[in-house]
Amino acid sequence: MSAGLTGIAYAFPRGRASVAELAAQKQLTSEPEVLRRFGFEEVRVAVDETPFEMALQAARAVLEGVDPESVDLLLYAGTPSAAAFQPPGAGSGRSVLRTLDRFKYPGTRLQSELGLNRATTLGVGELACASLFGAIRVARSLVASEGLKRVLCVASEFFPEDAGREALFNCTSDAACAVLLEQGAERNRIVAQAQVTKGYYWDCEGLREEIVASYFPTARHVVEEVLRRAGWKGDDVSWVLPHNVSLRSWEVLLGLLRLPRARLFSRNIGRNGHTLAGDNFVNLADALQAGEIRAGDRLLLFTYGFGAHWSALAMEA
Amino acid sequence: MSLSRSTRTVLVTGATGLVGGATLRHLLATDPEVRVLALVRTREGGAALRLQLGELGSRVAPVLGDVRQPALGLDSGLRSELRGRVSHLLHSAGDICFSRPLEQAREVNVAGTAHALELAADLGASCRFAFVSTAYVAGRAQGHIAEEATGGSRGFVNAYEQSKHEAEELVRSAGRPFVVLRPSSIVCDSRDGSVTQVNAVHRAVWLYFSGLVPMLPGDERTPLDLVPSDWVARAVVQLGLDPELNGRTFHLCAGSRAPALGEIFDLTDSILRRDPEFRRRGVSRPEVVPLPTYRLFERSVHELGEPKLVRIVQGLSHFIEQMALPKTFDTRGTEAAMGEPAPRVLDYWPRMVSHLLATQWALTRKVPEAA
Repeated sequence: MSAGLTGIAYAFPRGRASVAELAAQKQLTSEPEVLRRFGFEEVRVAVDETPFEMALQAARAVLEGVDPESVDLLLYAGTPSAAAFQPPGAGSGRSVLRTLDRFKYPGTRLQSELGLNRATTLGVGELACASLFGAIRVARSLVASEGLKRVLCVASEFFPEDAGREALFNCTSDAACAVLLEQGAERNRIVAQAQVTKGYYWDCEGLREEIVASYFPTARHVVEEVLRRAGWKGDDVSWVLPHNVSLRSWEVLLGLLRLPRARLFSRNIGRNGHTLAGDNFVNLADALQAGEIRAGDRLLLFTYGFGAHWSALAMEA
Repeated sequence: MSLSRSTRTVLVTGATGLVGGATLRHLLATDPEVRVLALVRTREGGAALRLQLGELGSRVAPVLGDVRQPALGLDSGLRSELRGRVSHLLHSAGDICFSRPLEQAREVNVAGTAHALELAADLGASCRFAFVSTAYVAGRAQGHIAEEATGGSRGFVNAYEQSKHEAEELVRSAGRPFVVLRPSSIVCDSRDGSVTQVNAVHRAVWLYFSGLVPMLPGDERTPLDLVPSDWVARAVVQLGLDPELNGRTFHLCAGSRAPALGEIFDLTDSILRRDPEFRRRGVSRPEVVPLPTYRLFERSVHELGEPKLVRIVQGLSHFIEQMALPKTFDTRGTEAAMGEPAPRVLDYWPRMVSHLLATQWALTRKVPEAA
């Protein structure tokens, strides 16, 4: 049973910070000049927003014109539990874990505030930057197995103030992203999906070098697998919609994949930085909005999530 | 003058090295009449060499000297004593470190060869010179590499190649009987896969096992020329000491039977995957990428400065370009003279990888830091 994305929306907080500003604030571990050479210019930073507010904003936008009671399932793949309701600087919310407040879930609150009265909710976690891919994977499976018609997938992740703004040579942003997946949708049809998880790399800090080394060959493997499942060859791919890790790493990966640089939709890497919430779908929305992607184009989406997960989607626009 | 087999007296340099050691052992084992003089730097070194050779060691006379000294550092009295009595000087000593600056590489590889030639001249016209070089004097050349080619026309990947090329030129122009023997990458004993000296190939397998090599430059179809030490030893004895072979150059290589890089990766992968720890780590087979992509990755690693990765790409940088310069060494002369080709790499490669796995690179623990 086929499924596709009939809606994509995202929300960024009001704040921005350039690479130079992040360096001045000691938010980076690499030299700012190196990060600029790697394609980063600025990132989006929450001022007083909360992850939940951003999730709500993105979800409302994607449901515009959609009967909320037609949604069968809400998949929430964002900041968990109490932390989702905390603005920057408010601490981790750990204290609420001792009270019933720990059961204040952002997924159920979204269901309530969006009026998704018929929808059940599920949480998808521990996939980092591959969260929305995981949610779509579950949604697609439930469309096929339970006959669901509409599934709303929402991801929203902020970086705590004390976490810095660099994750393994990538400048990170706060953001939320929502997609609406519908059974039988013709546009943005999901043709194939593939994921590899290598739990050995669960210790991201301790295995930095091994992660860098394993990233590229595993990425190529996953991309080749999704192309194989889609029945495509590399030449069939019209656009590569990236997760916004460094442009340099994408150039290396494109070299491995023997795909031309011109097919990479890369303009958001510099201006948005890398979000956990769903770079690939933000890029897809922008490329569709700009008319750069046309109906029938074959799209390759690839992401990597710490933990470690390599995930790819083949879609037909 | 042709010396009979039974009267051979061979002076060997580099007797403690990979080629010299294996050759010495093979020579002693197959010629009960041969007399061997082994150049060593210290008395202790000589004693250790004899001990290593076991019973065969009793037929080895250590000679104190140093390839960095004129006439290999042999004093005039000893030279007088040996004059007219040495049938062959087998010069296998060399500095095989790929990362040396050219001037340093020349100290052993070029000056050392000049000193060996000087001694050979002093020992008399009957002293034949067998020089162990490398197939990689071909440097950056690609495609078919003839055995008689002198190499170097396209430049070199590292100072080791260049210094060996320069040494070959000295040998050819010295005006005395010579044979040049050019092994490719010597990896193990084909019979049991044992490794006696670690080189770039073993380090690369270690890095693969460690999951620290994401990619290498080249093409899956690039030939990877490897040879086993026992066959090289046979070839050096058979070709290097044959009085009928004068002025010849031999490729001690797999040649047209060399496996493709992709075949070696597949085979290595299938063996490493038998190791539960390797499987648990989920290590991926390294990618073989175009040279510009590899260079971009290499540059990125340097810019990011992760110490371990920087050391790895630096270590690889001294020879990795060869992988993007596919070449097939002509071995017809060697095969005709020896009557056999080098053993098939894919037959003994699994034994070597299994040996490395079983010993957990015991020999190589300190090596992966640098080439």
